[in-house]
Amino acid sequence: MKVVIHTDHLSKYYGKDGEIKAVDELDLEVYEGETFGLLGPNGAGKTTTVRLLNCIIRPTSGTATVNGYDILKKETEVKRVTGLLAESPGLYEKLSAHEFLEFMGALYDVPSDILIKRIDDLLKLFSLHKRRDNLLEGYSRGMKQKILIASALIHDPPILFFDEPTSMLDPRAALMVKDLIKKLADTAGKTIFICSHILPIVEELCDRIGIINQGRLIALGTVDEIIAETETKTLEEAFIAITGGVEEKELLAWREQKGGSA
Amino acid sequence: MAVPKWLIVARNEYRITTSRIRKIRPYFPILVIGVLAVYVAFIAPAVASLFIDDFLAFIITLAAIPIVQILLFMIFFYFIILPITQTLKEIETGQLEIFLAAPIRPSDVLLGEFLGRMPFYAIAITVITGLLTAVLTPLGLDMVQIAIIIVIFAVTPLSAYWIGTVIAAVLRTRLGKTARGKDIGRALALVIALPMIAIMYAIMGGGLTEALVDPGTSGMVKAILGLLPSSWGAEVFIGFANNPGNIGAVGFETLTRFGGLLAFFVAVLWLGAKAANRAYSLETVSFVASSAKPDGVFYKTVKYLGGGGSFGTLLVSVFKDYGRRLENLSKIFYMVGLLAIMNLFLIKPDSSEDVMLMPQFILPILAAFVVGEVTLRGKENLFIYKKTPSGVGRLVKARLLHGWLVVVPIAAIVTAVSTILNPQTTFISLLTTTGLSILFVAACVAFVLGLFLLNPAFSDKSSNFGINFMITVFAIPNGLILIPLIVLDLPLLHILSYVTVPLSWLVGIVILYLGKRKLSRIE
Repeated sequence: MKVVIHTDHLSKYYGKDGEIKAVDELDLEVYEGETFGLLGPNGAGKTTTVRLLNCIIRPTSGTATVNGYDILKKETEVKRVTGLLAESPGLYEKLSAHEFLEFMGALYDVPSDILIKRIDDLLKLFSLHKRRDNLLEGYSRGMKQKILIASALIHDPPILFFDEPTSMLDPRAALMVKDLIKKLADTAGKTIFICSHILPIVEELCDRIGIINQGRLIALGTVDEIIAETETKTLEEAFIAITGGVEEKELLAWREQKGGSA
Repeated sequence: MAVPKWLIVARNEYRITTSRIRKIRPYFPILVIGVLAVYVAFIAPAVASLFIDDFLAFIITLAAIPIVQILLFMIFFYFIILPITQTLKEIETGQLEIFLAAPIRPSDVLLGEFLGRMPFYAIAITVITGLLTAVLTPLGLDMVQIAIIIVIFAVTPLSAYWIGTVIAAVLRTRLGKTARGKDIGRALALVIALPMIAIMYAIMGGGLTEALVDPGTSGMVKAILGLLPSSWGAEVFIGFANNPGNIGAVGFETLTRFGGLLAFFVAVLWLGAKAANRAYSLETVSFVASSAKPDGVFYKTVKYLGGGGSFGTLLVSVFKDYGRRLENLSKIFYMVGLLAIMNLFLIKPDSSEDVMLMPQFILPILAAFVVGEVTLRGKENLFIYKKTPSGVGRLVKARLLHGWLVVVPIAAIVTAVSTILNPQTTFISLLTTTGLSILFVAACVAFVLGLFLLNPAFSDKSSNFGINFMITVFAIPNGLILIPLIVLDLPLLHILSYVTVPLSWLVGIVILYLGKRKLSRIE
């Protein structure tokens, strides 16, 4: 299978002498048409990885290729072949949905005849066509998330990065996004890189997953492989076993003081 | 052919700025051009005719060059700080990710943002240059001279606006990634305008213009401001005005100053484009988290003043939340600075009564800045108090005490210093003015707190905030001081003692009671 994302000792350090290792010596391969999930606790380095692979920030050391383009040397080409749904991106609240998607399409050089049709199709897909001229400031968080997903798809890139794609969506919209991701992978042959805290989504959608903690990739494989490796029964248990959690006996330790309650 | 990326960004910026008038957007440029044409053809000449004689007398004085230099400097400074304050007030870095993930160069983003807002600045520039043309035409200036002057008055603000746009973009990147940075930004946005207000008041107060008639003073100002590119056009302007139709008489000045200004414009454009890579970045600049130190003497004293115990702790928490926001402190600094500038340049009080007047107008605004933020953290913040036993009463009590502890000492110091600076001040007048000021401002705090609870503003951009602020700015000074002064025709000290202070307490207590009642019922 063709490797479309390849990282080679990819690292991003911050602070004096690089004492904060946001991403540390990451070696990873993602195959064409695969849906890959990157899991990890808060601050593990998921978003930094996505930003590095989208040429938003530059690595401290190491490198990566995306669709064969080096992220250090071919920034523009990398950006053209990727679509990104960022974790907390800023929308232009004073633009309408149509205007925003038109702007995003223009940034990615989508020809205007194709762009107009595509905007209409995407807005219909996300059931927002009737509100196409409403300013985004009046949209709910879920609706905004749909617009952001549409903007990641607007130039129809072969590789898509979704950072928490369903975190703000209601169950119906989340289901639609899940189905969309499945279709994008199965029918359209897209390579999809998902970061999510919602384990069932990752479990359901991803062919393989990686677990990252404190910048280091500490597990890699299919869900079944990781569960087997950790000798647990579920992905949740495996995740806790790998990344650590609170011991049951610690849960009520705070009450074991004089006075017990107020 | 692909549309240039800077044009896409510029169009987007224009759409954002004109979102409120979306329905007339296609006709907006035609409308503006039409209005400006009427202005240039009819309104500007009519306005110019009102002061043309004074202008003709002015341009031959020694003060002419430094005054024009100062005017150009103010335009220059204003156009620099405008994009900076706009950005700092509301630092948004979310959109940066969109740009950085897209195949677009940072210099295109910068140029696009600059050009997208340019139409609105072009309107301001047209207003200025339109008036200039109307003023210069009667002097007999030839077309080349007028054209050069218009270019000077266009290029000076354009250079400044470009510099401001670049600085704003860099500041957004540097400050926008942390809550502390955003707070610093909002604090800077307010105080950054103070130097310009000082210059403006110095001109309005009259002292500066008179001082510049003196050759020594005007020479010094000319020499200092002459170093700034913003002032280079002033000498050309005055040179042309004194030699209408004879550009050769000031050929050297024109070549060096005007040429220098154009070179400066090109240089800042080039340097700004070079700086664009630094201006658009999501690289984390700091991992140092703000952390609280153990309570020192100040907070221990506040806790003691709050009676110790749980209310003392609550009061200390209110103080910490307030004091750790630089934005709040900058508002205090701004109001005190404004008062000082007004006293120094504009009012120049010559009796202890005059000294009293201005603080009574400024201090209610200070009270609004300090206690008006009671609801700004949102409804959820208020619900924390509503959820707790006797929470509403405690919140009001804590906020009132906090307002008094912050505003009253400032009022006392400001009034005392203003009074002492007056040569006619006696010890008794010092005590009287300071005491009255304290009593008045304490009542204002109660009134403003009640007002902001009665008509809660959950954002400083909400209409409620504006309404409350206007009531504070206009209703208190006018209703409690100015109207009684006019109607009763008594000395200010008598009005303050017998009308303003008792009335302000009465109104303050009633409004505070109503505000507290409203807070209990807020949903």
